[in-house]
Amino acid sequence: MKGLMATIIIGIGNPVLTDDSVGIKVVRALAERLPAQKDTVIRELSAGGLRLMEALEGFERAIIIDAIVTEGGEAGSVYRLTPSGLMQTRNTCSTHDANFVDALELGRSLGLLLPREIGIWAIEAGDVRTFSEELTGPVRAAVPRVVEAVVRRLNESGRQAA
Amino acid sequence: MKRISINPITRLEGHGTIEILLDEQGNVANTYFQVPELRGFEQFCVARRAEDMPEITSRICGVCPEAHHMAAVKALDKLFAVEPPSAAKKLRELFYMAFFVTDHTTHFYALGGPDFILGPDAPPAERNILGVVRKVGLEIGKQVMECRARNHHVIEMLGGRAIHPTAGVPGGWSKSLSEEAGAEVQAIAEKNIEFALFTLQLFDKLVLGNSAYLDLVTSEVYLHRTYSMGTVDENNRLNFYDGKIRVVDPDGHEFLKYDASEYASHIAERVEPWTYLKFPYLKKLGWKGFTDGSESGVYAATPLARLNVCDGLTTSRAQEHFERFYQTFGSRKVNGRFQPVHYRLATHWARLIELLYAAERMKELAMDPEITSPEVRNIPQRVAGEGIGCVEAPRGTLTHHYVTDENAILKRVNLVVGTTNNYAAMSMSIKRVAEKLIHGHAVIEEGLLNRVEMAFRLYDPCLSCATHSLPGSMPLIVNIRNLRGEVLKSLRRD
Repeated sequence: MKGLMATIIIGIGNPVLTDDSVGIKVVRALAERLPAQKDTVIRELSAGGLRLMEALEGFERAIIIDAIVTEGGEAGSVYRLTPSGLMQTRNTCSTHDANFVDALELGRSLGLLLPREIGIWAIEAGDVRTFSEELTGPVRAAVPRVVEAVVRRLNESGRQAA
Repeated sequence: MKRISINPITRLEGHGTIEILLDEQGNVANTYFQVPELRGFEQFCVARRAEDMPEITSRICGVCPEAHHMAAVKALDKLFAVEPPSAAKKLRELFYMAFFVTDHTTHFYALGGPDFILGPDAPPAERNILGVVRKVGLEIGKQVMECRARNHHVIEMLGGRAIHPTAGVPGGWSKSLSEEAGAEVQAIAEKNIEFALFTLQLFDKLVLGNSAYLDLVTSEVYLHRTYSMGTVDENNRLNFYDGKIRVVDPDGHEFLKYDASEYASHIAERVEPWTYLKFPYLKKLGWKGFTDGSESGVYAATPLARLNVCDGLTTSRAQEHFERFYQTFGSRKVNGRFQPVHYRLATHWARLIELLYAAERMKELAMDPEITSPEVRNIPQRVAGEGIGCVEAPRGTLTHHYVTDENAILKRVNLVVGTTNNYAAMSMSIKRVAEKLIHGHAVIEEGLLNRVEMAFRLYDPCLSCATHSLPGSMPLIVNIRNLRGEVLKSLRRD
């Protein structure tokens, strides 16, 4: 059950920049929703790129939750993405080192044990320009939906959720 | 007349646009590097407890939380009128050196190095850390990742948490270092020294050994004779953690030396109507526009500027490289100090010399018998009501300034971040690149994007920090506009 079976769930974003914090809010809710399990690790991160790739090392599966801003997107919309998908979420890249796709390729070419399955949940943000710990309404409403979706995903693969 | 705009920061946040305005002949009339507003940082902080600031400010940027944590903690020492014990200061500096090693290493291999290792005109998709590994070998990538991992381990061990440190408290550091952990940090510092020397050797081989690159480094495009700012110790040697702020003029004469608490007497901030980010300048000289020279108040605070202001480095091997650096550029000693180097691309080399210094200093501190002392905190007894804390962040001098009521509840907050110091200089580099590559309506498209990127990369701007936000990716968008603002051409790289 350990090692190869382990799952890491990462919420990424700035916890004090309104909707940019949605990934963090989702994983905090997940931490309450899921019973402590040895094979599921929940983490918060503030920077993507190499740092995100490093956080994935040693896990079989990863679930990443981040905010996204798309052209004409409706705040609170939820998207399922894969790392190879063309869309970049707000924080999976780092302007200071590498984008996530390059970081993953680097990790794999160096022989690091990286997850075979990486799922990204991206939530369309409304406001990412104002300092606040609160989410805007539509984004707040999306949090339980994403939490349920992640729990379902874990259950589908045989994980035990509360 | 045309207007060109470059959006180099992120399509996701709509951050940072460069507008280039062309005159009727199709030559560059002016450039504007715009940074948008992030709202409400001060309001967010006001009415909170001052002692929460090391935690809050470490969250405004995912890249350099350690620098904000340290500046905040130093501001709190003053705010609570408490002097940390000597061992606590050493622990803070030790922690900070591990951060500098990982930050400077990552910058060189992921951002700065690729321009030289792969060449400035290599396709952008290759000019990254993956390209470096493909060209130089997997072993390099492995070493970079190992360097990051071992120093992240030190940061976590000393700072209490891997990403956002918690150990800094007013009056000291919240935990002491065991003998065993001290020995482990020393061993890591030794590996860091080896790695820094290896990296300097690589730079030697790749850049100094290649006359085309040396020509690029010393080209007019990236030459700005501004004032330089940095922190020096009591003997005028480089220090990242503490000391006085020294400013030297373009010829290297000392212009100012002041305590961080006096920053507002020496630095003013210029507001331009076309951007939300302010331009700090030297008050005594005044704002003379985006121009260099001894009459202009524009200054730089970068690894290069830090070497320019100091008389030397306290560690032996870094000092050797420091001397070689100035000799290579033909700089002579005047009044015991090398004349400043103003080639901005030399910042990459300066950063590697700082990497070696940080590694050597880390070892010194780890071996200091006092580093394992249990005396790591003095408990604050009163609230002074105002505190200013300053450190050298990897990207420049970082200042935190807090004003509180008698219960240490925040009333006013001001931050001058590393990147902001260099905003005027960056704007000048962008203008110079544009002038060089746009003549009579003809735009060297790929060249423009590459050269603008190089101008950015050498400063490694943290606009997220500067606007108190987080970074996304950094694509480039160039719009060429006429006088009426119509976009005539758009260049884009994602």
